[in-house]
Amino acid sequence: MAWNPGEDVVAVQRAPKPGGAGGAYRAFGETLRGLKTTFGRMLERPVVYQYPEEKVPVYPRFRGRHKLHKFADTGLEKCVGCSLCAAACPADCIRVVAAENTPEHRVSAGERYAAVYEINLSRCIFCGYCEVACPFDAITMGHDYEMSDYNRTDLIFTKEMLLAEPLERTPLRTEDE
Amino acid sequence: MSALSDYRRREQSISYSAEPAGMGLEQELMTINMGPHHPSTHGVLRLILTLEGEIVRDIKPIIGYVHTGIEKTAEQKAYWKVIPVVERMDYLAYYFNSYAYCGAVEKLLEVEVPKRAQYLRVIHMELNRIMSHLVWLGTSCIDLGAIGVWWYCFREREAVLDLFEMSSGQRMHTRYFQVGGVIEDIPRGWAERVKRFTQTMRHRSEQYSALLDKNEIFLQRMRNTGTVDEETLLDLGVTGPLLRATGNPWDLRKAAPYCSYEDFRFKIPVGTTGDNYDRYRVRHAEIIESCEIIDQALDGLPEGPFITEDRKVALPPRHELATSMEALIHHFKLVTEGFRVPPGEVYFPIESPRGELGCFVRSDGSSKPARVHMRDPSFVNLQATAPASRDTYIADLVATLAMLDPVLGGVDR
Repeated sequence: MAWNPGEDVVAVQRAPKPGGAGGAYRAFGETLRGLKTTFGRMLERPVVYQYPEEKVPVYPRFRGRHKLHKFADTGLEKCVGCSLCAAACPADCIRVVAAENTPEHRVSAGERYAAVYEINLSRCIFCGYCEVACPFDAITMGHDYEMSDYNRTDLIFTKEMLLAEPLERTPLRTEDE
Repeated sequence: MSALSDYRRREQSISYSAEPAGMGLEQELMTINMGPHHPSTHGVLRLILTLEGEIVRDIKPIIGYVHTGIEKTAEQKAYWKVIPVVERMDYLAYYFNSYAYCGAVEKLLEVEVPKRAQYLRVIHMELNRIMSHLVWLGTSCIDLGAIGVWWYCFREREAVLDLFEMSSGQRMHTRYFQVGGVIEDIPRGWAERVKRFTQTMRHRSEQYSALLDKNEIFLQRMRNTGTVDEETLLDLGVTGPLLRATGNPWDLRKAAPYCSYEDFRFKIPVGTTGDNYDRYRVRHAEIIESCEIIDQALDGLPEGPFITEDRKVALPPRHELATSMEALIHHFKLVTEGFRVPPGEVYFPIESPRGELGCFVRSDGSSKPARVHMRDPSFVNLQATAPASRDTYIADLVATLAMLDPVLGGVDR
């Protein structure tokens, strides 16, 4: 043997030979022991959720569908169209086209704003790099996980869809739960 | 004659390893397909079996049904964007995939990883090992007809995935490991929950033992089936629990410690004969050892940074973006171009739940890797299928395949 780790090795127990007198005992004895384990579980609380009636709560760090944000006081969009999220995306699913803000038409707080902001959710891998990349906290990963649809085109989310609040909020777990 | 299809060529290339030997009856060999959509091949593995009655005379695994070209994709991405991509190969060992890759890049960059990050990585990897072994145990027991064990195993797996969701935001493919450390610190209350989980896990694994260890049917199916000796496995390059079941204690966590594994006391469970029962016992014992490592790592979890201070590699802290121009410039530079890695090549092996998972990275000095290759243990271990199940019953082949624990996402990459 090329390498000997010394006393860090522990040999696992060998199985008894099946069949014979021991086998006849085990066919009853061990089966009963197994059944005891099984019936013991009936006393425990069920761990399943009755999904879809009962939504599974997620943790605060859970990365679900993206959200775009506005400033609460001015109502201006946080996104300034810098395309850093699109640059960081490993799946290339974000498309940003920026335009200049004008005094008459002010959309965001910066010089420019995102005229087009699309996320193709059928390509997204929910790695959250867009959230990491965004220097203005304009895009974050929300908590929605129910995103299936009948058409692939409906999964391309536009800026308006990403800015809107979700119709139904996903239940959230507390940190200690 | 028209060109033979690929399938026909492969079928005709099968050599019959033994003469038909029925009880004086004329028998002929029959070649059948098992898979790629067979529930007991654990993914899309296709086996071409040559049967004599119920006895497997020859076996040819055919792979490639979930080839995703991940290694090629990695060549077109900046170093930090490769991490979520390589994670998706072996979908039961994503922390190991990303660690093998990050470790290789760190070795090229010669970045110092803080102790706290190393410990956090160990905790997550060992939780991942438990999770992977639970999936293996559950699905294997379905193949043997014991569906109850599957429910129990998946209940505990759910608890591990909840822990992953709490610390890294996603249940699978978490991209928690980054080059130089981990992306964020663990949340409040997580360590206590992990502690509680390891307690329950020890208790639960005793229940699995009570159900399986001496169950007569389980013994009949497992003992002395699928035996392969140590030399054959070494010749094939098989590592991990399969090799350890034959008595060879090769474990990279002890043999060539990485990521602070030398700080922890744990045992290497080994078997004696290398049959299916030994494989079961070795993996089962590894779950307990992983619990030990997690407990020790949580007790000794050092304070300090969770990612390297090197601003040329790691992103600056978020609160600095609003105040420091330099931090913002570094942030833009790292996100758009990524960091550059000095030219060179490196191979970084780690012990994944299935054996030696190595990552080879070659850098040409740019911000994208010139080549990323993974030595995936499932791919190598799959070669042991034929020596393990030749001249056995087809039912034993199913049990052996389950105990080999191949993950086809890792095999095909």
